[in-house]
Amino acid sequence: MFSAFEFSIRTPANGGYGWDNYLWAIREQDFFHYIIRSGWLAALTVLITLIVLVPTMTWLHLSKSTIRPFVDGISLLPLVIPVVAFAVGAQITFPEFVQNTVLELPFLYFVLALPYAYRTLDIGLNSIPLKTITEAARSAGANWWRTISTVIIPVIKSAVVGTVAITFALSLGEYTLTVLLHWDTFPTWVTYVAQENILGAIAISMMSLIIPVMVLTAVTLVAPGRSTQGRK
Amino acid sequence: MTLNVNKGGAPSRRRASLISFLKNIAPALPLLVIIGYFFLFPIGRLIYVSFMSNENTFTLDNFRTAMQEPYRSGFTNSIKIGLVSAAIASLPGAFAAYFIESRGPVKLRRTISVMSGVLANTGGVPLAFMFYAALGIQGQLTKVLKFFGWDIYAGRFSLGTFIGLLIVYLYFQLPLMIIVFSPAIVALRREWAEAARNLGASQLNYWTKIGIPLLFPSFIASFLLLFASGFSAYATARALTVGDIALTPLQIGGLLDGNVSAEQLNLGKALGVVMVVISAFAVIPYLAIQRRSARWQKR
Amino acid sequence: MSSKSLTLKNISKRFGNVNALDNFNLEVGVGELVALLGPSGCGKTTALRVVAGLEHQDSGSVLVGDLDISQTPAHKRNMGMVFQAYSLFPNLTVEENVAFGLQMRKVNKSVRLKKAHQLLDLVGLDSQSKRFTHELSGGQQQRVALARAIAFEPEILLLDEPLSALDAQVRINLREEIRRLQLSLGTTTLFVTHDQEEAMAISDRVGVMNNGVLEQIDTPDALYNKPASSFVASFVGTMNRIPAHITDGMVEIFGSKIVALKRGNESGQVHALIRPESISVAATTAQGNAKVLTRSFMGASSNIICQTEDGTIVQSLMTSASTGDLLPGSSVQLRVLSSEVLVANV
Repeated sequence: MFSAFEFSIRTPANGGYGWDNYLWAIREQDFFHYIIRSGWLAALTVLITLIVLVPTMTWLHLSKSTIRPFVDGISLLPLVIPVVAFAVGAQITFPEFVQNTVLELPFLYFVLALPYAYRTLDIGLNSIPLKTITEAARSAGANWWRTISTVIIPVIKSAVVGTVAITFALSLGEYTLTVLLHWDTFPTWVTYVAQENILGAIAISMMSLIIPVMVLTAVTLVAPGRSTQGRK
Repeated sequence: MTLNVNKGGAPSRRRASLISFLKNIAPALPLLVIIGYFFLFPIGRLIYVSFMSNENTFTLDNFRTAMQEPYRSGFTNSIKIGLVSAAIASLPGAFAAYFIESRGPVKLRRTISVMSGVLANTGGVPLAFMFYAALGIQGQLTKVLKFFGWDIYAGRFSLGTFIGLLIVYLYFQLPLMIIVFSPAIVALRREWAEAARNLGASQLNYWTKIGIPLLFPSFIASFLLLFASGFSAYATARALTVGDIALTPLQIGGLLDGNVSAEQLNLGKALGVVMVVISAFAVIPYLAIQRRSARWQKR
Repeated sequence: MSSKSLTLKNISKRFGNVNALDNFNLEVGVGELVALLGPSGCGKTTALRVVAGLEHQDSGSVLVGDLDISQTPAHKRNMGMVFQAYSLFPNLTVEENVAFGLQMRKVNKSVRLKKAHQLLDLVGLDSQSKRFTHELSGGQQQRVALARAIAFEPEILLLDEPLSALDAQVRINLREEIRRLQLSLGTTTLFVTHDQEEAMAISDRVGVMNNGVLEQIDTPDALYNKPASSFVASFVGTMNRIPAHITDGMVEIFGSKIVALKRGNESGQVHALIRPESISVAATTAQGNAKVLTRSFMGASSNIICQTEDGTIVQSLMTSASTGDLLPGSSVQLRVLSSEVLVANV
């Protein structure tokens, strides 16, 4: 498995056996434009996730509401629907004014990432004595927003980080929905580039795989570990 | 959250309880509204339109066309690639998950899980290009194999063929298997293995009587998820093929891009609906099995 | 299969740079129930796991009867073990769980299920035989685990803190049941716990461990009344430590001279070790030698905590009837009721 990676590392250096391709890629003005664009969209998605999902799930866990199983179930639906089919549905549903704004994509990405984000947060919220610390915070005088941001989120930090990571990664790399709805983001631009400059595209792909892996690896190595089956 | 006690009479009671119900679930409303509008609504529309003809009358024609060539091959191919890639990746993935979770040091374990997460989720585009580099006509790996006497392009191989695609699919199916199956491995309590040994079971006995029976449902569930993933994959296929393989996701993509003939207006929708049905056949059992397994898996 | 004796000889085991067991020696007689008692990390669980074969000792040997089983793999050791929790196989019913040991010994199906039912009946769970683990309460699960461990009539029974995960009342009931069962079967048993009340209540002998070493092994009575070390004295029951000075083999406590029982070279300034029930508290109108800090009413008896002039905290256990008028802050006279007292170096 890793040999493929190894080989592809050498190839981008081909046309001249130098870092030419990488340099070209970086110098292409569109490169940063699209990275920033995708990054921006991904960030918006993450924001939506944090603002909407975290409080809602906190409430669901706390209040033992009867609709919780319902929401649990719904959160899994996007898994069932293939993205391609969803794209078709999306294309014919949203009126023009929504489609043209930047708002459409983050919400759609949010829905796509929902199963993973929901599950990660669910596990995180289950693993802490939620009721107790919320009551402690509230009795000490914090209102809901402060409680969530200063008490709950830090406690389930690893779950939140995981959610952010997966939502961000998914939004950045989302190709299918994006291209079928005729949007231009980083992944779609890369395929476009490939038609003219395959080596450059490869260089870009290398970076887009390696960099997140390195960042996430670094983060996981540095972050405090979750408990594993240790010795007695 | 206090319950609103309604003191109205009989006729207004229903409306009042609807209002109080809404008030009760109010915090969840933003989420539900987003899901409703951005997800359920498009799906609903998709299903609705798939039954529409060009003149906006109810028809099953779209589905009839969907079942004929070339779309029929599209389905068979997609199902095939889903099944085969799942079949090939599932067993090695399961073993890999086992070895990683039970033997690896903690840091290695987490690194691999993160990498698998990234690989499985960053979409097929970078992956496709990796493969161009490795196994394309000019690829490094191709050159190495040629050096050893095996010209893979001598036959009709190319990354755009079924086999070619299959190989690429395996690259994201394997990490996906590891991610999906690992929780089941982690949930196997050490006490069970120890109790089994204490009661006289050899390693083999433990696995045949306890370990494998416990893991089997999750294994099947993971297989199903892998199938759904292979079946619906679009990005990689689009990046690597030149349109000569019939695959449903690609066909739908083609129909969406324009160049649609008059009769085919709503064909794409019908294809989409069939995809959803097939996918549901895999994912819903997956969810059901996971739910059942969760009973013994919670720590 | 009749039970045999269990011997651990010079067992040593290190984990990393921690000595879990240091030349550990233990003998459990046939049919005896010996408890290993100590705080977390003292090595008691390690000792048990070495006996079970789940950990391999660095040096030393384990004998069952006269047979050295040190190199025998765990699954051939013919010992029954009950774990702290979660040890029942979730994919098997209760009766299949109990029959598992017999299944591994190739006993035929109807015979082993019959035996399983017998045992489940013994622990009062025959009605649950077709259920699965997750449908049972914690106490029920442990009773099934017990039945499972003795189903194949092992020579040795090992219990690793089997009651620690249970509610207080369940714990008390279950420990009696374990003892009853053990006595009627006559199985040599090793029982690990950190709860000294539990250990004292049901064991023939109790071994108190600390940092990989067995400090004292004796009957509960002897441990309580004649603790061999400071650690044992404080770990088993509550112990007062009152500063005193040895003169001519006697110490003066609360105005009385008492014989000092030395175990070693104690001299000069020492701590006198006195059980709460050996100290009496009496209300006094005079100055008194202590003041009451708190009084805990426990039904038949009450715990009075006082403080002497030099700041020593003294605990006394008396019948509630005799302590009715002792309010916090009141002056009292403390007296030692025994004529001899153990001493320990400060």
